[in-house]
Amino acid sequence: MTFLRLDNIRKNYGDTPVIKGVSFAATKGEFVVFVGPSGCGKSTLLRMIAGLEDVSSGELYIDDRDVTYEEPAKREVSMVFQSYALYPHMSVFENMAFGLRMAKKPEAEIKAQVTEAARILQLEALLDRKPRALSGGQRQRVAIGRSIVRHPKLFLFDEPLSNLDAELRSQMRVEIAKLHRSLGATMVYVTHDQVEAMTLADRIVVLRAGLVEQIGSPTELYDNPANTFVAGFIGSPKMNFVNAKVASAAGDSLLLEHPTFAGGKLTVKTPSAARVKTGETVIVGLRPEHLSVNAATPVLSLTLDFAESLGGSTQLYARSEGEPIIALTAGRPDLKPGDVLNLGIDPRHIYLFDAAGLAL
Amino acid sequence: MRGKVLHAVGLTAVVVFSLFPFLWMVAASFKTQADILASPPVWFFTPTLQNYTEIFADTKVSGAIINSLIVATCSTILAVLLGAPAAFALARYEFRGKSDLWFWFISNRMISPIVLALPVYLLAMQANLLDTHLVLILIYLTFQLPIVVWIVTDQFKSIPADLEQAARLDGADQFTIFRKIYLPLGAPGIAVSAIFSFIFSWNELLYALVLTRRNVQTAPVVATSFMSGYELPWGKIMATGTVIVLPVTIFALIVSRHMVRGLTMGATK
Repeated sequence: MTFLRLDNIRKNYGDTPVIKGVSFAATKGEFVVFVGPSGCGKSTLLRMIAGLEDVSSGELYIDDRDVTYEEPAKREVSMVFQSYALYPHMSVFENMAFGLRMAKKPEAEIKAQVTEAARILQLEALLDRKPRALSGGQRQRVAIGRSIVRHPKLFLFDEPLSNLDAELRSQMRVEIAKLHRSLGATMVYVTHDQVEAMTLADRIVVLRAGLVEQIGSPTELYDNPANTFVAGFIGSPKMNFVNAKVASAAGDSLLLEHPTFAGGKLTVKTPSAARVKTGETVIVGLRPEHLSVNAATPVLSLTLDFAESLGGSTQLYARSEGEPIIALTAGRPDLKPGDVLNLGIDPRHIYLFDAAGLAL
Repeated sequence: MRGKVLHAVGLTAVVVFSLFPFLWMVAASFKTQADILASPPVWFFTPTLQNYTEIFADTKVSGAIINSLIVATCSTILAVLLGAPAAFALARYEFRGKSDLWFWFISNRMISPIVLALPVYLLAMQANLLDTHLVLILIYLTFQLPIVVWIVTDQFKSIPADLEQAARLDGADQFTIFRKIYLPLGAPGIAVSAIFSFIFSWNELLYALVLTRRNVQTAPVVATSFMSGYELPWGKIMATGTVIVLPVTIFALIVSRHMVRGLTMGATK
């Protein structure tokens, strides 16, 4: 059942379009993540759902109700801000109670709700403190507490973890995932961090320059990226791209040429072979984690530039035309800069894109 | 160590320089006329309350202080009541003519007050407002409003916009946001602007002299009025001066905690 629906939403600042027609629907209880580079419009889109930014055109529905021009408070949504936006002059209790007081709830109910939220978020001991006496992680928890006390229909998160250090970030990520499971609420989460997107999302909406590039589950986006942008954005380290030339196309197999390939040539099988012609460019995508070192039948034959040991795994940078080719391998292979790298890959893991970057 | 000594010496010099005239005034108010005029000055003397009994026996002084209190308090309260909401609008809303309005507030203070003294006098006379509390309250308000609007707008602008948006999502209307978020967080700026406004009204001499006769003479007017005639009753002038300075000093001490916070605000983020 559709719970949140965006219908051709657009936003202009003066003559400059920022959101150029976004349509999308989320079901009840779904965890949706908007991801994209800075300036892609993901935060603007979230703030439009909250009602903090006007919608230039298009329609917005929450729980089958048209809220396109509705006041923020009447949309029954809550939002966790990147800056937390706690009221500095109020105690933790009053911060969480503020929304309930605005709704003129009886004092007993306010106390019960805030106490319950504080219990869930382990804030009971801090209720009398002012925000300035809290650590970053505690402030983050209060901000989340403030959003859950009102039992909103929709939770919005605007890069909530970006002000935290790495350890706290992964800890809070787990807590948000748990919270989503225990509340069963619909959540929309904005981040530029693809790891957060992959780990938290039921579905990811990849945005670029005000347009949706692809919508899908984390594994769908990883396995079947619609274009080179999504392919490069999802996955870490980034996917390697090789701009190869089509030497010949016959049946369902393509013969590709590029100096990076072992022997300068690579044969791939693809059902879309008929869509490209000889002489055209095809972009070959290879994920670093799919490349294996010392393969019997290497696909790439390159020189190692340098290696970064991450302890359990090693990141290899190989010299090639343009961007270096990166391979991620388990353990610590005995390799020195200047050594020849024979990299192999399972043919099923080769991604192909046309010259415009669209998946073949 | 040497730096500390120099620092202490420098500070002492500044303190003495600032406080000596004040000390001289208070000391003189307890001296007889002969002691005041003695040369070389008398440092050790038998204090007398003569000057104070004389000025308080004269209803002119106590009446003037009451007039000053009425005018300064009313105009300050009005300036804050009108200025703070105006500052909220200027700090948070985009509207047509905003920058013009802002410049207008600044330009109010570009005119030398004496230029307007005559027109204001004529206006007050036409409106039958000469020698009333109301005319002084209104004219002081026109000088205080820009002070309040500037200081408080600046203070309000330093409050993160996210707070207002969080409050909007929490269901607060504009007035509630102003009252529950902006007023408490802007308190230092409001306190500072209130002190400036109060001191301005309390000290103002030019318009008080021009627009009042007998009924609503304020304290500075009365203090200078002793200077007419054939003698200069220094003891009475100094005693009146001391009495005038006292309320502002007390007011400033009470709110100084906020004032220090307000003035250093924005220095560190």
